[in-house]
Amino acid sequence: MLDKKLIEKVIDKALSNGADFAEVFAENTYNSRISFNDNKTKQSIVGKDFGAGVRVFYGTTAIYAYTNDLSEISLLAAADAVSKAANGNSKKKIIDLTKKIFDNIHPILIPNNTISKEEKIDFVRKINKASRDFSDQITQVDINMLEKMQHIMIANSEGLWAEDDRNYTRVYVTSIASKGSEKQTGSSGPGAFKGYEFIQKIDPEELGRKTAGTAVTMLNAEYVPGGKYPVIIDNGFGGVIFHEACGHALETTSVAKGASVFTGKIGKQIANPVVTAIDDGTIPNEWGSENIDDEGLPTKKTVLIEKGILKSYMVDKMGSIKTGYEPTGSGRRQSYKFAPASRMRNTYIAPGESKLEELITSVDNGIYAKKMGGGSVMPGTGNFNFTVAEGYLIKHGKITTPIRGATLIGNGADVLHKISMVADNLDMAQGMCGSVSGSVPTNVGQPAIKVDEILVGGRQ
Amino acid sequence: MYKKEFEMIFDYAKDKVDDIEILLSANKSFSTKINEQIIEAFNYADSKGIGVRVIKDGKIGYSYTEKFDKETFGMIVDEAVANAKCSEDNETAVMENYSSIDKKLNIYSEELEKVDVKEKIQFAKDMEKYAKATDNRVFNVPYAQFGNGTTYSRIENSKGLCKEEKQNFAYAYVGALSQENDDKRVGVEFIIGRDFSKFKAKELAEKSVEKSTALLGGEPIKSGSYPVIFNNEMMATMLSTFSGVFSAKSVQEGRSLLRGKLGQLIANDKVTIKDDGLYPGGFSTSAFDSEGYPSQTTVLILNGELKSYLHNTITARKDGVSSTGNGSRNYKSTLSISPSNFYMEKGQHKETDLYNKYDRVIEIVAMQGMHSGANPISGDFSLSAEGFLYEKGNKKHSLKPFTISGNILQLFKDVDMIADNFKFDMSSVGAASVLVKELAISG
Repeated sequence: MLDKKLIEKVIDKALSNGADFAEVFAENTYNSRISFNDNKTKQSIVGKDFGAGVRVFYGTTAIYAYTNDLSEISLLAAADAVSKAANGNSKKKIIDLTKKIFDNIHPILIPNNTISKEEKIDFVRKINKASRDFSDQITQVDINMLEKMQHIMIANSEGLWAEDDRNYTRVYVTSIASKGSEKQTGSSGPGAFKGYEFIQKIDPEELGRKTAGTAVTMLNAEYVPGGKYPVIIDNGFGGVIFHEACGHALETTSVAKGASVFTGKIGKQIANPVVTAIDDGTIPNEWGSENIDDEGLPTKKTVLIEKGILKSYMVDKMGSIKTGYEPTGSGRRQSYKFAPASRMRNTYIAPGESKLEELITSVDNGIYAKKMGGGSVMPGTGNFNFTVAEGYLIKHGKITTPIRGATLIGNGADVLHKISMVADNLDMAQGMCGSVSGSVPTNVGQPAIKVDEILVGGRQ
Repeated sequence: MYKKEFEMIFDYAKDKVDDIEILLSANKSFSTKINEQIIEAFNYADSKGIGVRVIKDGKIGYSYTEKFDKETFGMIVDEAVANAKCSEDNETAVMENYSSIDKKLNIYSEELEKVDVKEKIQFAKDMEKYAKATDNRVFNVPYAQFGNGTTYSRIENSKGLCKEEKQNFAYAYVGALSQENDDKRVGVEFIIGRDFSKFKAKELAEKSVEKSTALLGGEPIKSGSYPVIFNNEMMATMLSTFSGVFSAKSVQEGRSLLRGKLGQLIANDKVTIKDDGLYPGGFSTSAFDSEGYPSQTTVLILNGELKSYLHNTITARKDGVSSTGNGSRNYKSTLSISPSNFYMEKGQHKETDLYNKYDRVIEIVAMQGMHSGANPISGDFSLSAEGFLYEKGNKKHSLKPFTISGNILQLFKDVDMIADNFKFDMSSVGAASVLVKELAISG
C-alpha cells in the first residue's frame, strides 16, 4: 500500500528521538452493510475506511498517532509527533525491510463484490419470510448482512514488512415476538472469515425459524425466582462467560497491570481438572482467525488452561515486554484508529467426555441455559453478569418450563472451579469483542458445561 | 474548511441524483493513560470522513469515505445511488434549507486548546498518585486517564443548506481498586468539561477511593422487595439504557414499549423528562442535528404524561409533526435518532429526605450488565448492583453484590421522591437521586 522508501523514512523519523521500536500500520477497507427491517431493504451503506497509524515504544510506554492522510508530509508529521512524545537512549536503526510471505490458511472462494446486491437481498428476504411465517407473534425481523474486505500493511523497525487481506462475511438476525405490550427477542449472527461462499452454505429458512423460535418461547416463558442453582450452560454462545469473565483476564493488557486475578498464576491450578481452554487463530476460515495478527506476527493456537492448570496468557508485543512471555500472535486492533493490544481470537473450552443428557439428569433443581445473551464483567474483580437469552427449568433431571428474565451472576475465577462436568458437543458462535483496541471479530465456544452453583438473578 | 471537497462531490453528483446531502466530521483528539506513574498509552488522532446521503427517484442511499480524492468521491456517489436503487423504503427524505439557531451555545473553548500536553500528563499522573496515597486498602489504580477532543462538523445539501460548527471538551477519570480480606471493589470518578482549571486531580482521586472503600466488607441482603434509591449517577445510567424507547423510529417500527402511549400517564406525576439540544455548555449541545435541522428543547414526559417522541425529519413527516432536531448519524452510519442532552428534571427534596422516608432503604451506587441485562424493547431489566443498606435514615453497612430486577415503566410509576442533586454523566444524560417505592432484589 505504501512505498518501501516512504515506510523506511517514516520509521526512521519515529525512531529519531531514541525510541526502542517503531511500527507503521496502514489499511484500506471496503465495508458494506445491507439492512432489512419492516419487510424492506433500507438504510444500506457502503464505504471506505482508510488510514495509517504510527507507533513507538519507549520502555513500557507506547505512543500512537493516526491519520487518514497517507501523503509523505502527513505520515512524517505523525512520526515526528510520536517521536517527540518522549525521550529515549536507544540508538536503534531500522533493519532492512523484506516483504514477508506467509501461507494463506484462510482462502476466500467467492469475493463478496462478485455477487449482486439483488441476490443478497433475496437471501435476506427468505430469512424474513421464514421467521414471520413461524408464528403470528413475530412482529418484527431485523436482518443485517455485513461484508468487510480489509487490506492491511504492517512494517516495523525490526525489518518486518507484511501485507494481508481479510474477508469477513456475517448475517445478523433478530426476531421480535409481541403479545400485548410485551416483547421478547431471539437473535443469531453466524459469520466467518470467508467470502460469499459462507452465505451460500446457510439455510436462510432454518435461520429465520430458529430466531423466531427463541423469541416466541421467551414470550411465553415465566419469570424465574432468583436464587442459587446448579446451571447447565449449553454449547456455542454459552462460551461468552468464559470469554468475558476469564478470557479478558488472561490478556497481558490486564495481566501486566496486576489487574487480573490470574497474574502470577502460570502453572497453578485455576480451574477444575475437567477444564481445558484454548485460544486459536489458526482454525481455517473461522470468524476470529487470521493469517497474521495486527503486529504482523503469524497467528497461533494457544492452550490457555490444560486440565485446570494455567498454561499461557495471550501476549502482544507490549505485553511481552512487560511480562517477559513470548508473543502469541494475539496483537489485534479494530482499525488504524487503534494501537494493537492482546486480544482473543477463537476462544473455547475443549470438549469433554460427558453427554449433554448426563449433565441434565445430574440436576435435581436447576436451570438449563440453552442460549446465553450478552453480559459484562467488572475489570479487576472478575465479577460478571450475563443474561440467559433462552432458558428452562430443570426438575428432577428433566428440562421443563421456559424461563425469562434470568441472569447469571458470579465471579470468573470462582466459576472455573465450579465447572464439574464438560460435555462432548463443542460448538462456536460469533461475536464482536470490544476492548482497548476496539471491536474485533472473535469466536466464543464451548461444549455444554455444568456449573455446580451460581447465583441466578430473577424476579419473585 | 473543506469547501473544495464539497464542491467536487456536488459537481460529480449533479446529474446523477435528485438531491444530495454531504456531512463532514474532522476530529483531533489526544488521550493518555498512566499506570505506576509511567505513561502506558499516549494517543494522537487526526481523522476525518465524509458521508453522503442521496435521494434518487424518491429513494435514499448512503455511503462514506475516509479517503479524500476525486476518484473515491465519484465512487461513493455511485455507491450511494446503487444503494438508493435497491432500497424498498417508501419513506423518503426531503432535503431543505433549514433555518439557523441564533443563540450562544458555549461549546468551544479557545483556552482549552492551549493546555500544554505536559500538564495533561501530569494531571493523569497526579490522579493515580493521590488515589494510591489516600487509603492503604487501595491496591491498584487500573484507570487514570485524561483526554480531550475537538470536532469540526460541516453539513451542506443541494437545497442550499450550509452549516458548520466547532466544539471541544476534555475529560478525566480515575478508578481505584481496594481490597479488604477477600472483598475487592472498584470506584470510578470522572469529570468532563471545557475549563481545565476546574479539573482537580486530588478531588477526583479521593472520590474514586471513597466510592471503592465504602463498599468493602459488605453483608448479604435477603432477597425480597425493598424501597430503593438510585443515586444520581445510577439514575442517569438507567435513563441512558432506556433512552432508545423515546425514538420515534423505534416506535414506528414496533420496537418501543412507548408505542401508542402518547398522552397517557406512563410515570409518576413527579417525573418530567426532557431532551435539550441547546443546553448551554452541554456536551451534546449543537445548533443543528445531522440533517442540518435546528436543535431544540423537547419535553418528553411532563408530570408523568408522555408528550412527545424524539424525531428526525423522516419520522416526523410520517407522524405529521415537526422534527425535534434529533436526526443522528456520523459519516459512517445511516440516519437514526439519538437524544442530545437527555435528563430527568431534578426534584425539591434534599438527598437526606430520601433516606429518611422508609425504615429500610437500599441505595444503589453501581450497576453492571446494562447492555445485556436491560432489554430496551420489553423494558425489563435484571442487573447486578452494589450499594448500601440504610435503616431509619442511617447507613448501616455496604452490601455484597446483589441483583435488581423490574421493568422501566413500573419503575417510573414507582418514583416516590426526587432529590435536587442533579448532574450529567459522561454521555450527557442527567438525573438527580431518585427514591423508588419498591424493587425486587435478590441477594
